[in-house]
Amino acid sequence: MPQRYDIAIIGTGPAGISAAITAAVRGKTILLLGPAALSEKLSRAEKIENYPGLPAISGADFARALSAHLDSLGIRITDGRVGAVYAMGDWFGIQAGETTYEASAVILACGVAQGKPLPGEEEFLGRGVSYCATCDGRLYRGKTAAVLAYCAEAAKEAEFLATLCARVLYFPVGRAPIPRAENIEVIRELPRAIAGEGKANAVLTDAGAREADGIFVLRDAVLPERLVPGLATEGERVAVDLSMRTNLPGLFACGDAAGRPYQYVKAAGQGNTAALSAVEYLSKR
Amino acid sequence: MVTKIENEKMEKALEAKAAVVDFSATWCGPCRMLAPVMEELSEELKGKVDFYNADTDENPQLAGKYNIYSIPAVLVFKDGQLVGSSVGFRPKADMKAFIESKLG
Repeated sequence: MPQRYDIAIIGTGPAGISAAITAAVRGKTILLLGPAALSEKLSRAEKIENYPGLPAISGADFARALSAHLDSLGIRITDGRVGAVYAMGDWFGIQAGETTYEASAVILACGVAQGKPLPGEEEFLGRGVSYCATCDGRLYRGKTAAVLAYCAEAAKEAEFLATLCARVLYFPVGRAPIPRAENIEVIRELPRAIAGEGKANAVLTDAGAREADGIFVLRDAVLPERLVPGLATEGERVAVDLSMRTNLPGLFACGDAAGRPYQYVKAAGQGNTAALSAVEYLSKR
Repeated sequence: MVTKIENEKMEKALEAKAAVVDFSATWCGPCRMLAPVMEELSEELKGKVDFYNADTDENPQLAGKYNIYSIPAVLVFKDGQLVGSSVGFRPKADMKAFIESKLG
């Protein structure tokens, strides 16, 4: 039996870290999942003008201060990209890479997904388009898979697909790293759309169409309703009440994931509220 | 109870008044999470609808016939006719509402 944490917190920005601090102070066992280097967006922020007590602090200094706070409480970050959160009734399964963690409550602090889906992406989702190589890769054994790589973990997933598929077409976008395997072809063309007929069969780029049997779109952040099947959203934000409760009992959301304003001080406050609500939820079970 | 479909034979599901077939595989994470949900629903909907599970590795022809490109895929049949399908994990209440909506 894997360990079941009291609270799993997904995201290492100010919301997630604030939630982790409060939950730890309240004596709960926590799993803090996300990039160990903290939220990349945070480290790149030039200057934060309105965080009480820390006037005109740089994003990098703020990230260091948050790290030091976690260290002082002995909170460790489990590095990983969460692929899915499953509401199982009175517990949650959290899939990150090859591992599935278990927790009694979950706090989503995963930020807001940037960028719109590609034309054809949603139309063909589940019909040739997938967000999870480890989930669906084996359906394309001996065939051609395309990987649209928008995140650092995409290279590892492409290498996994290369062990199954005859060919892997790898489209690195932005700073995605390059995988290594004989049957991976790196294609430096920007994906513009996904095409198909009944089922996706090609990636369209500026240079033309690249045919593939399965197309894996791997992004840093997935839409919350994709991350958590059954989760209610309003536009791009998770629907929450003032206690940061979502429609799924035991699941809370805070920070940018819960909507505007996108401010660190608001994120930290909501993280605190979410953690207190999770503690209350656990005490009533 | 969820009945396992073996050797590509799903005639029983097609002969039933109402049947749900969960296409999945042992290596698929969401499928493993969905399995206990389907097991519980098979008890809650006992007498109304029969539940089946088809492993896509063991039943590749069925998976091809029903155009299974992503799993878990839950197909709902009424008097042998496909009346609905749902791809991916769903929490129990959601899945139950989906199945009931397709059976009318």
